[in-house]
Formats: sequence, C-alpha cells, structure tokens
Amino acid sequence: MRDGEIDDILKKAGEAHPGPDPALIDEIAGAIRPGMRPVRPLPSARALELLLYLVALAISVIVAARLGLHGFAAMSGPQILILAAIPILIARATVLTIAAMTPGSKPREAPVTLFVIACASLVALFAILFRDPPGGHFVQQGMACLIAGVFTAVPVGLAAWWLLHRGFVVNPERAALAAGTLAGLAGVAMLELHCANFQTSHVAVWHTAVIPVSVALALLVAKLVQIRRTHARAR
Amino acid sequence: MHPDGELEALMVRYQEGDFAAATALIHRLSPRIHRFFAVQFTSRASADDLLQETWLRIHEVRHTYRPGEPVLPWLYAIARHIRVDHYRKTGRTSARELSFDETSEMPAPPGTQAAALTMEELLAPLPPSQREVVEMLKIAGMSLEEVARATSSSIGSVKQKAFRAYEKLRERLGKMGGQS
Repeated sequence: MRDGEIDDILKKAGEAHPGPDPALIDEIAGAIRPGMRPVRPLPSARALELLLYLVALAISVIVAARLGLHGFAAMSGPQILILAAIPILIARATVLTIAAMTPGSKPREAPVTLFVIACASLVALFAILFRDPPGGHFVQQGMACLIAGVFTAVPVGLAAWWLLHRGFVVNPERAALAAGTLAGLAGVAMLELHCANFQTSHVAVWHTAVIPVSVALALLVAKLVQIRRTHARAR
Repeated sequence: MHPDGELEALMVRYQEGDFAAATALIHRLSPRIHRFFAVQFTSRASADDLLQETWLRIHEVRHTYRPGEPVLPWLYAIARHIRVDHYRKTGRTSARELSFDETSEMPAPPGTQAAALTMEELLAPLPPSQREVVEMLKIAGMSLEEVARATSSSIGSVKQKAFRAYEKLRERLGKMGGQS
C-alpha cells in the first residue's frame, strides 16, 4: 500500500470523526464570556532572553565583586578564555529557558543536551587551561566553592522561575533543566571570577558540580510544584 | 486570507477582548482538539471534559500567544499538556498503556475494509507518541515544523515517528487487504 493511499484513509477517518456536541461548544463560549477582557501578549522572546541574560551575568559579577575578584586577578591570558566560554553557554541556556515559558515555541535542542554539553565543555576547558598541581584540603575547599556557587545560582534560578511563571510552562521538567543549567552556569561564572584556586581537579570537580546540583534543585522544586498543583486541582 | 492567517487574526482579536473572535475560534478549533483527544482512546465523555478544560486553560493563558506566531502549535501544546495532566491526575496512564498493549496485538475483524475503520481503530496499533504525530501531521494537516513545535521535539524526531507509524499502518492495512 502506498503512502498516498494511507493518507487518504486517514483523512477520511478523521473527517468521519463526530465532533463535539454544538451545545458543548456554546457552553464553553458561555463559560469564558465573564472573563473577557483585553490582555497584553508576552514581550518578544528576544527581549526576555536579553533581560534574563543580563540578570544572570549581573548576579554573578555582583556576588563575585562582594567576595573579591581574586580568580580574575590571578588568571593568565589563556585562562581568561573560560570567561568567554561561560557567557556563551549562559546565552544558550537563557534561550531554552525563555522558550520553555511559551507553548509551541520554535524547535530547539533539548535542555538535557545543553546540560551535558555545558558540563563536558567546562571539564574539558578546565583540564586544558588550569594546570596547577594538586594541593591539600580538596574536599574542604571544594565544598566551600560548591556552596558559594549554589548560593549564587539560587537568585538566578528565582529570576528564571519568576519569568517562567509569567508564561505557561507545558513541560515542567524541560523548564527546570533549562533554568537549572542557566542558574548553575551563573554560579560557575561567579566562581571563576572569585576563586583563585587553579588546581585542575578542584575547578573541574567542584566548580562544574554547581551545574548538576542546581539542576537537581530545580527539578526537585518543579516536582514539588507539580504535586501541589495536581493535589489542588483534584480537591 | 490564508486559513492560518485568519486564525492568527482571530487570536489577536481574542487577546484584545473581542468575544465574537473568541467564539469564532472556539467553533473552528474545537472539532480538531476533540479529535486530538479521541485519538488517544479517551472516551467521548472524557474528550468533552478535556476539550472544556483546554479552552478554560487557553483563556487563562491567552497572553502567552505572540502575534505573528502560528496558532495551531501553541494550541496543540496546551491540549497536550492538559492530556498529560489529566492522566497524571487520574493515575490512568498505566491502565491506558495496558489497554494499548492489548489492542495493538488485536487483529482487525475478518472482512473489515480499511476504509470502514474508525480513526481510533485505524490508529490502535500505534504507540501514543506516534498516534499524536499522525493525527497532527496527516489528519489535522499541520507541517513538520508545527508538529515539532507542538510536541517540543525536533523535526527529525517527528519525521522518524511518522515514518515508523506508516510502516506499522502499511503492514496492518496490507494484512486487512489480504483478508478482505
């Protein structure tokens, strides 16, 4: 059987489907009538992306400046490359986060792909650019950086959540992955500006770990919100 | 005016608070949404409920439609969300999958002509993800990009699902042709 014949059979079956009762359609129209008032459409995706991008960068820089820009001051020429790579990843995460707030937005890569690319590319760049020999206090110093990074990620995540809340998220997991990756990258940006510990193992493990931790927190929050909403509607 | 352009114009007027435009949209798009729910083996009563719920949600989030963007992917993405939410709420997903597994192995009644099958019978052998792609692409007449937008997936993934669905449909309809 040729594709054209299957097309015809499907088309006919679709046309034969008895639609909804006209009374139901009138009932639906009647139900929305009391709530009819003009609404302002969401601003353009570009404007929202720019806003979120600037907020993420501003939070990273402000927190790093408050803690001291020791990392930036100690960086050699090639190491500054990391500060060029992170904003590019942040820009992409911003696009995916804003896309998640609009139903039927343009097809783009899955947020999980960006998450994997971000973690892998950062580990690779850290391994290439940061060559200090391993020292002591690996866990102690690492935990301090991880906590500082996650604390920087939280306000960025909240800003993303506030914007997502203005739209309509049809896939909370995708939205959480995108927003979590964005927040995590902002945390890493802050650490690169602040932390002067350039041991390869330290930056590759503890700085990069801010991203999966932020994503895990975002997924947890999304799950909790989803459970709460499902229960609220069931009641 | 192109039909999609008409929908976009109606949607903009709906956002401006024009009740006549909202009613026109509801009349034009409800049969599509109802069929979308029916394809997923939802009972008629459930399809009616989901249709109602979809329009109430569309009304709540109508500000998320951006003028100039295609209306159908936006609308189908919301309808999909309502369907997933409904299954989650009622906890019937596993039961649906079970019933699908049973029906997918079910042979067509002897002597049945392919053209005599209802849409639900025709799409029975397909998994839900392929069923929705076939409905949007082949029955609702949406483009590959529109389906990709509605399902939050890539165009390649939509093409692959449609291809696999057609392989299964060809096999099933071919067998039926042999029987009749």
